[in-house]
Amino acid sequence: MTKSQDLPQFEDHSKQEHRYTTCYMCACRCGIKVTIEDEKIRFVQGNPDHPVNKGVLCAKGNSAIMKQLSPAKLTQPLLRKPGTERGAGEFVPISWDAALEMLTARLANIRATDPKKLAYFTGRDQMQALTGLWASQFGTINWAAHGGFCSVNMAAAGLYTMGHSFWEFGDPDWENTKYFMMWGVAEDHASNPIKLGLKRIKERGAKFVAVNPVRTGYQAIADEWVAITPGTDGMFALSMMQVLLREGLIDDEFLIRYTNGPQLVINNPGKQGDGLLLRDAQGNPQIWDQHTNSVQSALSAEVAPALIGEYEAPCGTPVRTAFSILMEKYMAPEYAPEAAAKICGIDADSIERIALEMAHVAFKETITIDTQWTDWAGRTQTQFIGRPVSMHAMRGISAHSNGFQTCRAIHLLQVVLGTIDCPGGHLAKPPFPKHIVPPIKPAKGNAPNTPLESAPLGFPTQPEDLVIDENGNPRRIDKAYSWDAPIANHGLMHMVISNAVAGDPYRIDTLMLFMANMAWNSSMNTAQTMEMLRSKDDDGEYKIPFIVTCDAFHSETVNFSDLVLPDTTFLERYDTISMLDRPISEVDAACDSIRQPILAIDRDVRSWQEVMVDLAGRLKFPAFTNDEGLPKYNGYEDFIVNFERAPGIGFLAGWRGKDGEKSLRGEPNPNQWKAYIDNQCFFKFELKPNQRYMRHANRDYLELAKEASWVGSTDQIVIEIYSETLQKFRLAGQGLYDGPQPTEEHHKERLKTYFDPLPFYYAPLEQARTDAKEYPFFAVNQRPMFMYHSWDSQNSWLRQIMSQNYLYMHRSKGEALGIKDFGWAWVESHNGRIRVQVKLMEGVNPETVWTWNAIAKQQGTWGLSDDANESQKGFLMNHLINELLPGEAEAGGHRMTNSDPVTGQAAWYDLRVKITPVGKDEIPLEEQNLAWPRFDKAKGLPNFTPASKMSSYSSHPNINISRGWRDIFSKGAK
Amino acid sequence: MKLGLVVDLDTCVGCHACATACKQWNTSGTIGPLSDERPHGKDPSGSWLNRIHSYEVGDSPHSKTVNIPMSCMHCETADCVTVCPTGASYKREEDGIVLIDQDKCMGCNLCSWACPYGARELDADSGTMKKCTLCVDRIYDEQLPEAERQPACVLTCPTSSRVFGDFDDPDSQVSKLTRERAGQQLMPELGYNPVNTYLPPRNPKQQDKIEISPMQGVRQLVNRIINR
Amino acid sequence: MHPAFSVLIFTVTSGAGYGLLAWLGAGQMLGFTQTYTIGLQLTLGVMAMVLITIGLFSSTMHLANPKNAWRSFSRFRTSWLSREAVFAVLLYPIASVYAAAILWQWPMINLWAGLSMAFALIILFTTSMIYASLKTIRQWNTPMVPALFMAYALMSGGLLFVAVSGFFGVLNPQLLIVVMALVVITLALKMVYFFWQGKPTGATIQTATGFSQASVRLLDAGHSAPTFLNREFGYQVAADFLLRLRIVMTFTVFMLPLVLLYWVFNSPEIVEVLVGAWVIMMAGLLLERWLFFAEARHVVRLYQGDQRT
Ligand SMILES: Nc1nc2c(c(=O)[nH]1)N[C@H]1C(S)=C(S)[C@@H](COP(=O)(O)OP(=O)(O)OC[C@H]3O[C@@H](n4cnc5c(=O)[nH]c(N)nc54)[C@H](O)[C@@H]3O)O[C@H]1N2
Ligand SMILES: Nc1nc2c(c(=O)[nH]1)N[C@H]1C(S)=C(S)[C@@H](COP(=O)(O)OP(=O)(O)OC[C@H]3O[C@@H](n4cnc5c(=O)[nH]c(N)nc54)[C@H](O)[C@@H]3O)O[C@H]1N2
Ligand code: SF4
Ligand code: SF4
Ligand code: SF4
Ligand code: SF4
Ligand code: SF4
Ligand SMILES: [Mo]
Repeated sequence: MTKSQDLPQFEDHSKQEHRYTTCYMCACRCGIKVTIEDEKIRFVQGNPDHPVNKGVLCAKGNSAIMKQLSPAKLTQPLLRKPGTERGAGEFVPISWDAALEMLTARLANIRATDPKKLAYFTGRDQMQALTGLWASQFGTINWAAHGGFCSVNMAAAGLYTMGHSFWEFGDPDWENTKYFMMWGVAEDHASNPIKLGLKRIKERGAKFVAVNPVRTGYQAIADEWVAITPGTDGMFALSMMQVLLREGLIDDEFLIRYTNGPQLVINNPGKQGDGLLLRDAQGNPQIWDQHTNSVQSALSAEVAPALIGEYEAPCGTPVRTAFSILMEKYMAPEYAPEAAAKICGIDADSIERIALEMAHVAFKETITIDTQWTDWAGRTQTQFIGRPVSMHAMRGISAHSNGFQTCRAIHLLQVVLGTIDCPGGHLAKPPFPKHIVPPIKPAKGNAPNTPLESAPLGFPTQPEDLVIDENGNPRRIDKAYSWDAPIANHGLMHMVISNAVAGDPYRIDTLMLFMANMAWNSSMNTAQTMEMLRSKDDDGEYKIPFIVTCDAFHSETVNFSDLVLPDTTFLERYDTISMLDRPISEVDAACDSIRQPILAIDRDVRSWQEVMVDLAGRLKFPAFTNDEGLPKYNGYEDFIVNFERAPGIGFLAGWRGKDGEKSLRGEPNPNQWKAYIDNQCFFKFELKPNQRYMRHANRDYLELAKEASWVGSTDQIVIEIYSETLQKFRLAGQGLYDGPQPTEEHHKERLKTYFDPLPFYYAPLEQARTDAKEYPFFAVNQRPMFMYHSWDSQNSWLRQIMSQNYLYMHRSKGEALGIKDFGWAWVESHNGRIRVQVKLMEGVNPETVWTWNAIAKQQGTWGLSDDANESQKGFLMNHLINELLPGEAEAGGHRMTNSDPVTGQAAWYDLRVKITPVGKDEIPLEEQNLAWPRFDKAKGLPNFTPASKMSSYSSHPNINISRGWRDIFSKGAK
Repeated sequence: MKLGLVVDLDTCVGCHACATACKQWNTSGTIGPLSDERPHGKDPSGSWLNRIHSYEVGDSPHSKTVNIPMSCMHCETADCVTVCPTGASYKREEDGIVLIDQDKCMGCNLCSWACPYGARELDADSGTMKKCTLCVDRIYDEQLPEAERQPACVLTCPTSSRVFGDFDDPDSQVSKLTRERAGQQLMPELGYNPVNTYLPPRNPKQQDKIEISPMQGVRQLVNRIINR
Repeated sequence: MHPAFSVLIFTVTSGAGYGLLAWLGAGQMLGFTQTYTIGLQLTLGVMAMVLITIGLFSSTMHLANPKNAWRSFSRFRTSWLSREAVFAVLLYPIASVYAAAILWQWPMINLWAGLSMAFALIILFTTSMIYASLKTIRQWNTPMVPALFMAYALMSGGLLFVAVSGFFGVLNPQLLIVVMALVVITLALKMVYFFWQGKPTGATIQTATGFSQASVRLLDAGHSAPTFLNREFGYQVAADFLLRLRIVMTFTVFMLPLVLLYWVFNSPEIVEVLVGAWVIMMAGLLLERWLFFAEARHVVRLYQGDQRT
């Protein structure tokens, strides 16, 4: 538009300044451009040049002003008031010096005696490279981040199958895909990229199929909505697999060249070694070569492996190809569409049709990109072949206790269609793909004043890698990497409080929480968790003696802390979104980014990054101290610039080398921060066209990846449709493993059942243990697009969109139960009951009820008034979910965690409930419009200023457009 | 010129980004501030110029969820303007934008009564009526980079479901979209002749299935000679 | 629609005031006030103006930004509210001259009486057109609304007129008949209005959303607490309660005053009863006006979940 004559100049741009940084209102990490005027925020907009969001922002990002102005911001370090009870929320201010001295003394003592008595758990943070390093240097194995209660099922299934995964490790090829299937996603981490992508595929006329029991959000714009019954996606996927196998609709070339499908598996049922890969003396897997009709190394380039067949190894052992086992398994009647239909709530014709549609796209609508590239064996290839079917899946899959196998089933579908890292398929994002699996083993033990030998979290490939003691008992407080959850790659954060209080496997001294609201929405069984945090021994000591919380806001968890260390907001600190973590890479570019403070700190708060580096120096961690035993780094910025994990490899990949001329690897650059800031706070390293696809077998790419230290070698990453790792654990369960084996019956049972080297469907554990007649409904959650977990009820704009959640159910079911729209109902599970307000809808699987996640708040927290809707009418589903499985304890009094048996992923969505209307006279009048349970009001923090009754924010007085008198008097009706 | 928005109901996922972007821009914009009553209390309520409604069209199991963002339609026959006694509300001749002069409004609510689309909200703090300005303070601000001379809601929409432009220009994107995708007005029978149009959801894409011959029965998968 | 108390007071009291003024003017012109003393004429005139003024003041209470109220004269060309404001203000000098003319028995008194009456009627019309011109509210967008507004004003003003006249001992039985007739006519009009209002026509959630072929249901309004629009337009009262109020309203506005009028007609000695009748009628009219708002369904409600207006 050109200037309209009569308009005033609205903005005084000379008073405004643009500063770039990275949003952290959620884990999507969009680039933002902030306009500042008189040190106030005028406008936050998407950075159009940024690889993640390309200029767009979500509802949260657009409300950053109100987050920055939140009355719930912590203002100073706080100490639980001496003589008051934990959880009462009474605090006295304490200086940073005193706080850090106190903490250092305590931690130094733990470190010098038994370092594992510090349990350090972090929630929604994105700096696990730093917190993990800190924990290893401290020497505690008890560290983990949120992945265990979030989506480790996805990470593990992907990393153990193809070296990358859904979640933040890969994306559909939005530019080329022609058929996109989305499984159980409401919003996800790639919040804006998914929306940008959906727009692209709808524009191009690709088909979008949404598999989800609820039709809202993304599913609203899907071409086809598959209203699946929760927990049954594995059956749906494998039934489609049967259709493909039955019709011979597989990409055999892809399977032969890039997967372990042709590898030979020992077929010796009931004997040691059964189900393991046939290996030669060098340990190489073997195939049946059709040129020579003999067993040959699977790693050789000169063979023509048989994909299907039973053979005899030279030693006489009967073997068959992995793919033959797969065919036999999925051709079984239980996976026939008619059988699957009964379980999934999807009719057999649809299952069949969707499979055949995908096959059409994969095999009849193939695309090619003519680019020369070199494959793993050094052979020049002239094109990339694309089978443009792509998928994305998240917590609708992962939050079930069959999520690992279900996710693997979905990957297998992708693999047999040949859609992995090819044009139009599912693409990895650097530093992924990794070799299967990355050669990092979880640290097994700790010693006083000594860093861990390896990272606290790693990738077990065999029972020997478990973190268990000589009796087979867990060594970690969360029992990760024990027989309970052998491949718990991200730990089991949801078990920490419960285990520590039970002293099972042992007691700890200090629980340090960063960016996790464990007393509320990130624990199962919230009410009881609060009790646990309050619980004391007979001697009057708290069962968890000391709780330190680093939070930026007055969360529910703050109330249960003994020491509260107030963090900055994301607009006030330096931060890295590092290649050592999960960076912001795109499918065709390696990217990382930083945050810079764009607002001055106006309270007595410090960034946790800064505090951790400080503590590391005080505690004299080797990596943080010089030869004289003095702190090596002068704060966080200095640490980021100068720390090298391996020569030339640091937290930031951009502008390395003395003069900033090197990318990915290079010596520290003292001006690195400035280089990032000058480039709008992100670094983007574009892959060359020949490095963009088939990266598991693309030498052009693998050489770069090795140089950048993303992978350890340029060997081909062979996709594992058949998981030998799982088979090893299964053998241990069967008593056929030559190594550690469980002693308890239920552990054996679990290994035998769930560690199937090929994915299979089983009913989620809690569902299977709950009487379906008594509890007829499945209950799940969805993320609202405009709220991030518990963070955003303090945001006065976002809470206007939603300050109360409802239980949504199918209209016919509500009506049958006599529950009206906005009526109140009891929702009861095996674990307890809650009272909620109901809304009826059409677009939901009739057996399913659902609500928005984490809207409810404890009275008195988050800067909200006592009568705020969140604490009066909002409700958490968490009260109904137990961290332990229902039913009888296992033999030995052992109660099993309510988690995926393979990965330990929290099973939030396995819940079954019954629903009854609230009777008219059942509850007192004054309670009738309130949710239940509600909790004691949290006390106000010292110096807390409650929000005003009215607020009218603006960065400058408005420049009104004045309508002239002449216009007013002269205009007629038009 | 006839400036306005096209909203694509085929791609809107109901994320509310446009609503908060609008609130954010305009609270410091020409009609700002946009106040919030009880921002951290019971029933928080403020003035917004753009809100998203979600509907279910059709009955289960064939229902379809549709998100409909609503802001001022900058109607050609804008009764909200004719009813305004103070002259605070007016429609600009040059581009058709309907505006409210904040210094002249007396807060009588009548214009909001005259608006069928709920586009006008009284600001509880200033006592004046607020509504979408079509970001007149962005689209004409020559000191903004050209690409950013767009309404805040349009810039931010992650699915590009909002398009801004001149409906008088047959070659503009808004005119083309309206033509090609049969963009429609909401409640046309009231005769306000809203400028904004809504693109109805596209018909679901019909995907071909791969052909299988029923005669063949189960196809036998056979080994092919494929070099690794 | 949310019934704002200030607006109810305004339309009912100033309505009665304009009605009364119209009666006074008509009396002057048709000659039926010739027997009235100057004092009584002035009393009636002042009463009318007081009622009008109370109403107008009350109406400004409902402005959120009253400091700009004076600007409401400016859009006379299109806005019925502006027109109302202009005429309402112009009435004051005219009525003042009329008062002077009564007091000093000026010869042109008929002109001023006529002008006052005309202005009163015009203002009533402009007020009613504020509502009747809104296409967004089916229940108001009908010529019946101006007709009713005028009828209510003339009826309540007329009743006040005869009540006060009677109080001062100049009751004219013919006027009583006229007032009774007005009550009956207004009642009939109102019943026609109720009947018409009950017919299901107008915009629906289908036309509001553009999905004409299927059922449409609101899933989420986009805000969980009420907004200005909900408070202003979302006023919801149970249907059976509304029906009961309609009955109470019909009795207080029409039936009781009619009975009392008839009673006084038969026993003129208890003429003071008319004052009571007027008070009852005014209370009823407040209820009637409340219903007028409460039963009006703005189309915006279609976006908030209503299936039809
Ligand atoms: N705005 C916003 N964005 C966020 C977050 C947030 O809180 N707010 N949180 C972030 C975090 S930590 C995470 S983990 C991600 C999670 O992002 P999502 O994966 O989108 O997580 P959920 O909201 O739990 O959505 C799960 C979806 O799966 C469906 N579902 C439930 N059970 C099943 C099932 O058995 N099968 C299928 N097919 N579907 C099922 C539910 O209806 C729901 O739509 O989002 C991240 N992004
Ligand atoms: N019922 C149910 N429960 C669930 C889920 C579900 O779907 N259903 N989802 C689960 C999943 S996937 C996840 S990831 C978890 C998430 O659970 P949590 O990891 O606990 O996440 P949040 O609620 O986001 O809270 C984290 C804390 O971070 C604080 N915080 C915010 N910004 C900052 C900052 O800048 N610095 C610091 N130091 N702190 C900050 C917040 O104030 C808050 O107290 O919830 C889990 N819980
Ligand atoms: S998706 Fe929204 S909240 Fe998350 S980083 Fe991007 S803009 Fe910020
Ligand atoms: S930003 Fe776009 S997708 Fe989101 S609600 Fe608005 S129009 Fe719809
Ligand atoms: S949408 Fe409403 S406010 Fe906007 S021009 Fe039309 S009638 Fe006026
Ligand atoms: S509220 Fe303001 S803009 Fe609306 S009609 Fe009244 S004076 Fe005009
Ligand atoms: S054009 Fe501007 S004022 Fe109008 S809805 Fe969009 S952002 Fe709001
Ligand atoms: Mo998560």
